Amino acid sequence: MVASPNVRLRLTNRAENVLLVRQALSGLAESVGLDPVALNDISTAVTEACNNVVLHAYEGGEGEGPLEVELCVGADGFDAVVRDHGVGIRPGVKAAEELSGGIGLPVIQALSETVEFRDLPGGGTEVAMHFEAVGSNPPEETAGEEGAALEAIDHGTPGGDLTLMTVGPTSVARGVVPRVLSTLAARAYFSTDRISDTQMLADALVAQTDGEVLAGHLSMGVSVAPRNLEIRVGPLRTGRADALFRETALDGLGPVLERITDGHAVSPAGSAEILDVRLAQRN
Amino acid sequence: MPATVTNSEIGSRARGRAETARLFERWQSHGDEAAREELVASFMPLARSLARRYGRSSEPFEDLLQVASLGLLKAIDRYDGERGHPFQSYAVPTILGEMRRYFRDSGWAIHVPRGAQERALRVRDAQERLSNESGRAPTVNQLAEYLEMDIEDVIDALQAIRAYETVSLDAPRGGGEEDIVPYGDTIGREDERYELVELDATVSSALAHLPTRDRLVLQLRFVDDLTQTEIAERVGISQMQVSRLLRRSLEQLRALTDAPGQAR
Repeated sequence: MVASPNVRLRLTNRAENVLLVRQALSGLAESVGLDPVALNDISTAVTEACNNVVLHAYEGGEGEGPLEVELCVGADGFDAVVRDHGVGIRPGVKAAEELSGGIGLPVIQALSETVEFRDLPGGGTEVAMHFEAVGSNPPEETAGEEGAALEAIDHGTPGGDLTLMTVGPTSVARGVVPRVLSTLAARAYFSTDRISDTQMLADALVAQTDGEVLAGHLSMGVSVAPRNLEIRVGPLRTGRADALFRETALDGLGPVLERITDGHAVSPAGSAEILDVRLAQRN
Repeated sequence: MPATVTNSEIGSRARGRAETARLFERWQSHGDEAAREELVASFMPLARSLARRYGRSSEPFEDLLQVASLGLLKAIDRYDGERGHPFQSYAVPTILGEMRRYFRDSGWAIHVPRGAQERALRVRDAQERLSNESGRAPTVNQLAEYLEMDIEDVIDALQAIRAYETVSLDAPRGGGEEDIVPYGDTIGREDERYELVELDATVSSALAHLPTRDRLVLQLRFVDDLTQTEIAERVGISQMQVSRLLRRSLEQLRALTDAPGQAR
C-alpha cells in the first residue's frame, strides 16, 4: 500500500476485539459509501483473518499478543491487512485448520479478489486481502506519518486493554471514531445515556480537530476498565487541546465537553501536544 | 487441548475422509441416492456454519440456510475427487458463491436496512422500558440480554438510532422516516410544559435563539449535571430525544465556533 491506510488498529488478540474491527469497518464503509453486499464480503473475510489471530497466533491460542489491522479504500479497490507477531499464522493456522477442520482460510480465499500470506521478519504473519469494491464516495488519499502518530500515542498510554487507532481523513474519522468509542464504552459497561455522551465527545473530537491533526489522521489510544474509559488523542498542534474544550463553552453553561467528561489533561509531546480525556460511568 | 485428544481427532478425521471418498464414489459413479443423502447430512454443519458467518445478521436465517444448502448440493454433484483436493476446499467457495449470488440478485441490500431498522426500534423501545422500570439507562449487555440479541446488533442499533435522529434533524422528514422517528410530533405538543419551568437566569443571550425546551435540557445537563435519563424523566420526553437535543445544541455551537462573529 502506497497511501496511508484509512484505519489502522493496534489491538490485543482478544475475541472481543474482532467486534471492534468489524465496527471500525462498518464505520469506514458507511463513510465511503460501500455497498452492503461488498461490505458483507469484506467483513466476513476480515473476521476470519482476525479470528485466526485470536485462536492460533500466540502459544497455540493460549497466549496474548498484538492484532494489527489496516483498512484502506483506494481507487482500485479495498485493501485489508491483518497482522500478528506470533509464531507466524501460516504454519500455525494451517496446522490448526487441519486439526479443527477449520474453514477460515478457504472463506478468505473465496471472498477476496487476491490474498497474500507474508511471513514477517522477526516472527508473525500478515494476511493481505484485496477486494474489488470501491465506495461511491472514496476519501481523498492521504500519505502521512500517521504511523509515527501512533507511536506518539502509544508511548506512555496506560497498559491493560488498550486500543490504538489512527483514522483519516476527517470524512472517514467521522464515521469510524463514534462507532469505535461506542463499542469501547459498551465494553466498559456504560449505560446507553453515557454511550450517547461518548458519541458526543467522539463527534466533538473529530470536528474540532479537523485540519488540526498532524499527518491528516486522528490518532487515539483508549484504555478500557469497568465503568471507565481513558482516551488519549494526538499529537495535536500546541494549544489545540485547551482550545477544544474552550470552544465548546456556552455562556452560562461553561465548557460542555468538560461537563460530559470526567477530567482531562494536556501534555507536551515534542513540538506538539497530547490530550488525555477520562469518561466514567457515574451512577 | 491436550495432545492426545488432538491426535485422536486426526485419526477420526482421516477415517472420515476415506469414508467420504467412498460415499462420493457410490453417488457419482452409481447414482446411489442414499449415499448422496448421507453426504448432505454430514456436510450440512459446514453449510450452516458458512451461512452463519456470511449472513451474520440476516433475517430470516432459514432463507439463507436454504441457499447455502443448495450450494452444498451443487458442490456434492460437481466435486471431482480425482483431483486430490479435499471436498471442503471445493464446497466452501461453491456455497459462498451461491450465497453471494443470492444477496446480489434478491435485493438483499435493500432488506438489510429494514431488518436493521426493526432492531433499532426494538432496542429503542427496550431502552425506554428498562429506563422507566429502574430509573436508569440500561447497559448494552442488559439490552442484549433483555432482547436476546447479539451485543454487536445492539451496538449497530444504537448507531442506527443515532443516524436516523440526525436525518430527522437535517432533512425535512418524508413519509419513510415517520415510523422510526415518531418523536417529532410530540415535541410541539409538550412545549407548554417547558414554558412553565423557570430557566436559570445565568443562561445568557448567546443561547437566546434556542427554543425554551432546548435551553432547559442544556441547563439540566450541563449546569445541574443530571444524566440524560434523569432529564428525560423530569421533562417528560424520551432519553433519545434528550440525546438528540444535546447533540443538536453542540452542533449549533460548532457552527458558531466555525464562523466566529457571524452568528454572534
